[in-house]
Amino acid sequence: MNLKAVFTSSFFLKNIFAVSLVVLIFISGVSYKHTINLTDSAELVKHSYEVRIELEHLVSCVFNAESGQRGYIVSHDTVYLHSLYKAREKVDQSFNRLVVLTGDNLKQQSNLDSLHSLIDLRFKYFDHTFKKANARPFNEAALRKSLLHGKKVMDLINVQINKMNILESVNLKERQQKYENEISFTPIFTLILFAFSLLVFIVSYFKINEDLIKLKNANEVLTITTESFKHAEAIGNFSSWQWDLESSILTYSDNQYRLLGCEPQSFKPSIKKFLEFVHPNDIHLIIEGNAEATNEYDANKKPSTSLFRVIRKDGELRYFKSIAKVLTNSRGKKTLIGINMDVTEQHLSNVSLEERNRALEQSNKELASFNHVASHDLQEPLRKIQTFISRIEDKEISSMSSTAKEYFARIHDAASRMRRLIDDLLLFSSATKTEKSFEKTDLNILFEHSKQELAQAIEDKNAIVESTPLPTLNVISFQIQQLFNNLIGNSLKYSKPNEAPMIQVTSEKVLAKDYPVLKTEPYKKYYKISFIDNGLGFEQEYAEKIFILFHRLHHVTEYKGTGIGLAICKKIVENHAGVITAEGFPGVGSVFTVFLPEQ
Amino acid sequence: MQSTTQNEPIQILLADDDPDDRLFFKDAFEEIKIKTNVQTVNDGVQLMEYLTKEGVTLPQVLFLDLNMPRKTGMDCLKEIKRIDKLKDIAIAIYSTSSSEEDIEETFVSGANVYIKKPSDFNALKKILSEVVTTNLQYQTSGLNRDNFILNL
Repeated sequence: MNLKAVFTSSFFLKNIFAVSLVVLIFISGVSYKHTINLTDSAELVKHSYEVRIELEHLVSCVFNAESGQRGYIVSHDTVYLHSLYKAREKVDQSFNRLVVLTGDNLKQQSNLDSLHSLIDLRFKYFDHTFKKANARPFNEAALRKSLLHGKKVMDLINVQINKMNILESVNLKERQQKYENEISFTPIFTLILFAFSLLVFIVSYFKINEDLIKLKNANEVLTITTESFKHAEAIGNFSSWQWDLESSILTYSDNQYRLLGCEPQSFKPSIKKFLEFVHPNDIHLIIEGNAEATNEYDANKKPSTSLFRVIRKDGELRYFKSIAKVLTNSRGKKTLIGINMDVTEQHLSNVSLEERNRALEQSNKELASFNHVASHDLQEPLRKIQTFISRIEDKEISSMSSTAKEYFARIHDAASRMRRLIDDLLLFSSATKTEKSFEKTDLNILFEHSKQELAQAIEDKNAIVESTPLPTLNVISFQIQQLFNNLIGNSLKYSKPNEAPMIQVTSEKVLAKDYPVLKTEPYKKYYKISFIDNGLGFEQEYAEKIFILFHRLHHVTEYKGTGIGLAICKKIVENHAGVITAEGFPGVGSVFTVFLPEQ
Repeated sequence: MQSTTQNEPIQILLADDDPDDRLFFKDAFEEIKIKTNVQTVNDGVQLMEYLTKEGVTLPQVLFLDLNMPRKTGMDCLKEIKRIDKLKDIAIAIYSTSSSEEDIEETFVSGANVYIKKPSDFNALKKILSEVVTTNLQYQTSGLNRDNFILNL
């Protein structure tokens, strides 16, 4: 799952949310204004009707007064006068209400003032008419005139009221027109906003849906990964943990609990709790390790590693290796993540390996000191014995009995044999020494040196020693010299008593795959150097045993061998990453073959 | 090659802690037909005391064993070469050891010849007579690694 995609998606959702919020607030505002306008308009209509009703009411009161006047003039009954005065009160009440109702309209107020004057005038004519009607002597013409004036005023009042009604209607119409203008575009606007919101919601829906699918897929992958990780942890004996450095919250994987010998999630992880499991002498390692991992954090720093002991819940001591590093996420939050491994087995085997190495080093040192013992301390008494032998042989041998002479000769031989053993052992231990210097050496020269060193024996036995051209190889020259000496010397020593020894050294380049003994060796090309003689030979069953230290095929008395010479040869060849083999043909001869790698 | 007149015995000193070796040494010189005066000391400390004593006759050839208690032959060799009065004494290393390190170090420190103690009395006689009849003091200029070790 691409992390960037998730973050982009969340950014998109945030924007969508913000846009939707703005749109909704706008729509609400517009709707609110629209509703307010509607209420206002209803109020206006209601107001206009109230004004009209009140005006009608006013007129009807005036008419009531008029009819009262008429009744009185005809009947002179005061009952009519009463209704006239009552009408006057109602007119005043109605007029006051109109003053309040038209308070927001100057034109209507001035009209109302005019109406008031007219009504006052009308009532004055009522009084005037009563006076004329009650006048003694009765003047009919004056009454008529007064009545006529009254009627004219009444007409004016009607006109005035009509005028006011019309004005009110016009006002109403104007206001309604204005309001309609205002809200006429609201539906379209609302519709557009609605459409836009719908679009936003649909896009959001698909986007969220898409994210959800991705999230679901990612979740599935994550579930599988987590499961396989848990599996891996259980098999690999390791566990993981996260330590949120801001909130100090520590999280353990299930296997961490198991490594500590506890049931998964059986306690709340904390540093304090963890330190309870750590061996008391190793607690400082954890504290130092944590400090190292978190301090002066550098992105390229290697994860910090520490090895410490843990005492499991069941009391078993285990060795843990912990590797931790700080992880900083995109918001700069730092988490120390780590892996704990139970490395008890590896650690213990390492420790035993180290011990074995120490023991090996110790035994190497002992070998070196043995070398010194052999070269000095053993040689010294032997040398003295031999010197004394030589003195007695010089001076006293003639006065000895024949038995003493024979015993003495045996002492002489034993001492000589011991000398050879010590010398050979020294050679063997020098072949074992680890410091060696390889250098390019012409083996033909080494072969010539060997012939010179063995010249006496070759001459004594009338031996023929010859070789085909030998290669130049990167070898420890004094060791290969020793190898040649030993192998040629060996052939001379085990030659047939009645036949001149014939020793041939041959060399050829061979491929490892052609020889079974080289199959397990690392190199491909070898030089095969063979030492072929016509000596006594040996039974093939001894072919491997003859290379074992102190292993001999003949009696001490027969041949002066120490059983070390061929062991030295094997050692030297092994030092050169080579292989040595032997083939024996009893009564015919033997072949010693040395394989040395080309490089 | 005779360095001294027939009448004057050659002054010889041996420093060796081993009584048998001192015995062989003395016996060998008795049998050699050269007039010698052989003195022996038992270790390095005795050697240095002897050499630095007032009025002592200094040896013409000093045979020096390397492996001695208290003060080793190597220490003595280095000390002798630091003392003006003693540094011209011819020194023959006389040791059982033939280790490369010992040979190298004594050569560098100024010893004249390195003798590996032989295991045959006749060989011993031969080697000792060779050493005393060779004027070692005059051989130093031509000294090299190859003829430093005396092999017979």
